[in-house]
Amino acid sequence: MKSLKTKLGKIELATPIIMTSGTFGYGIEKINFIDYEKIGAFTTKTITYNPLRGNPQPRIYETEYGMINRIGLQNPGVFYFVKNVLPKIRKKFKNIFVSIAGRNEKEFIEIIKIIKKEKISAIELNLSCPNIEKKQRMFSQDSETTYKIISIIKNETDIPLIAKLSPNVTDIKEIAISAEKAGADIISLINTVKGLSIDLKRMKIIDGGLSGPCIKPVGLKCVYDVYKVVKIPIIGIGGIIEGKDALEYILVGASAIGIGSGLFSNANIINEVYNFLENYLKKNNLMLENIIGYLNEKDWLI
Amino acid sequence: MENVICEVIKNENLNKDHLLLEFENNFKEDFYPGNFVHIKIEKCFLRRPFSVARFNKKSIQIIYKVVGKGTEILSQKTKGESIDIIGPLGNSFPIYKNKKICIIGGGTGIAPLIFLSEELKKFNKEIFFFYGSRNRNSIFFSVLPDGIDYIFSTDDGSFGTKGNIFDIFKKFNGFEVIYGSGPEELLKKISKFSKKVPVYLSLENYMACGMGLCYGCVVKIREKDNWEYKRVCKDGPVFRADKIIWR
Repeated sequence: MKSLKTKLGKIELATPIIMTSGTFGYGIEKINFIDYEKIGAFTTKTITYNPLRGNPQPRIYETEYGMINRIGLQNPGVFYFVKNVLPKIRKKFKNIFVSIAGRNEKEFIEIIKIIKKEKISAIELNLSCPNIEKKQRMFSQDSETTYKIISIIKNETDIPLIAKLSPNVTDIKEIAISAEKAGADIISLINTVKGLSIDLKRMKIIDGGLSGPCIKPVGLKCVYDVYKVVKIPIIGIGGIIEGKDALEYILVGASAIGIGSGLFSNANIINEVYNFLENYLKKNNLMLENIIGYLNEKDWLI
Repeated sequence: MENVICEVIKNENLNKDHLLLEFENNFKEDFYPGNFVHIKIEKCFLRRPFSVARFNKKSIQIIYKVVGKGTEILSQKTKGESIDIIGPLGNSFPIYKNKKICIIGGGTGIAPLIFLSEELKKFNKEIFFFYGSRNRNSIFFSVLPDGIDYIFSTDDGSFGTKGNIFDIFKKFNGFEVIYGSGPEELLKKISKFSKKVPVYLSLENYMACGMGLCYGCVVKIREKDNWEYKRVCKDGPVFRADKIIWR
C-alpha cells in the first residue's frame, strides 16, 4: 500500500487510482463490489451553475473497443450539489475533486464562488465544454482562452486547480504550457476524443466523445508529450481497462491515473489496477514515485 | 448489487427466435421481478442488460433474441462456461395483493412478466396475462407459469386471436392494476389507462454502466409540474406509466 502513494502537488493520494469525471456519477450510488479504500480520489460528474437536463436520446453508442457518449452535462446545478450531494459523499472518499464547467468566464467564476467555501481536495476545470462567447469552441482548444480562464479562477481560490484538457487540438503541449503558466496545479489528460457513430437500426447519428481502449494510444501520446514541457503533475486518463494500462501511463509521466468507462467493461478494474501496480513495484523493489515518467525521453537525457 | 462469475447451466432455443440462458445463481442477494442483470460479453466493450425471467435459489434464467454482435456471441455460450455478471440491478414492480390484475406485453418484453406473474400468483387469484406475439412459434409456452388466465394474440393468427394484443385487452375491463413490458408502441397505448388505475411499465434502453453512474440510458419522467431525465438502469426500469413522457 505504501509503495502506491503518490502526490499531485500538495495533494497526497494513498493510491494513484482516480475515478474520472462522468463515469462514477456523484459518488452517491453504492457500488458494492468496489473497494473504496483503493480509490485515491473521486472526481464528480461535471457541475454547472444552473441545473442542466442534458441531451435527448441517443446518448451512448458502443463502438469497436470503446463507446461514444453525448450526455450533455446533465447535472443538478452547483447549489443542489453543495447542499444535497457533497455532505453524503465526504466520508466515502479520501479526496474529492469537483469537476465544474461554465459556458463563459462569468459562469465559471459564479460556480467557484460557491464551491470554494467547501472542503474539497481540488477543482477540476472541464475545459472541453463549449465557450458560448467563442462560437462554441472549447476553452481548451485555444491557448489564450485556456490561459485566461485558469488565471481568472486562480485569483478566486486557493483550492488546487486541475485543468482537464481535450485531445482535440493541434498541439496539446501549447495548451498545457498555457495552463501551467496560468496557475493550474495539475493537468488531466485526456478528455474524450471527438467521434461519430451511425446507428443504422434507428437511422441516427451519435456525435460525441469517444472513450475506451481505442483511445489509449491518444492518451498516452498526450501525456508523453506534455510531461516533457510542464513541471506540474499529470493525471493520465483514457482507455485504462487493466493494470498494465495504468502502468504505461505512469511510465510516460502520469503521477496518477483515471479510470473511466473501463469500469463499465471490467467491474474488477480497481482491484486489478491496484494489485498489478503493487506487485510490479514489489517485484522491482520500487516506489510508485520512482517510476513516474521513467520511459519518457526527458529522463533518458538526465 | 454484486459482480459474480456464474456457470452456464443451459443456453438453448426456447423457440425459433428466442434463446433461454440459465446460469447458476451465485448471488447473495435476491432478485425481484423487474430487476435485470448486466452481462459481460467477450469482444464487446459494454455489457448487455437482460431482465430476469425466472429466479430461484439455484439458478437464474433470461430470455433473449439474437439482434446483434453481443447476443450472437452470447448465443454460442455452452454448458459449463463462465459468465461475468453484475446484478441484481434496477428497481422492481410493486407487488399488489388481492386485486384483479392485468399483465400485458409482447415479444422479448415478456421475460420480466414471467417472473412477475410467478410472484403475483402468491397474492392474487385473478390474474389475466395478455400475451402478444408475432406467431405461434415465438411464444414462450414452456416457461409460462400455470394458474394464470392467458389471452394470446399473434400477428398472423397462428395462435390465439389474430391482431394486436392491445385491441383484445381493450375489450376487457375491471382491472385494478396493470403491468406491462414490451414494444414501445404497445406501452404507449397501455399508459393511457393510468388515468384510471395504477399502471407500471418496464422500459428498455441502450445502457453503458447499468449502475446509475453514466446517465446514458435516461428517459423523460414527469416531476411535479416539470420533467427530468431519469435513468432506466437505476430509477427504473419500472416506472409508473403516468410519469412517462413518451417520445
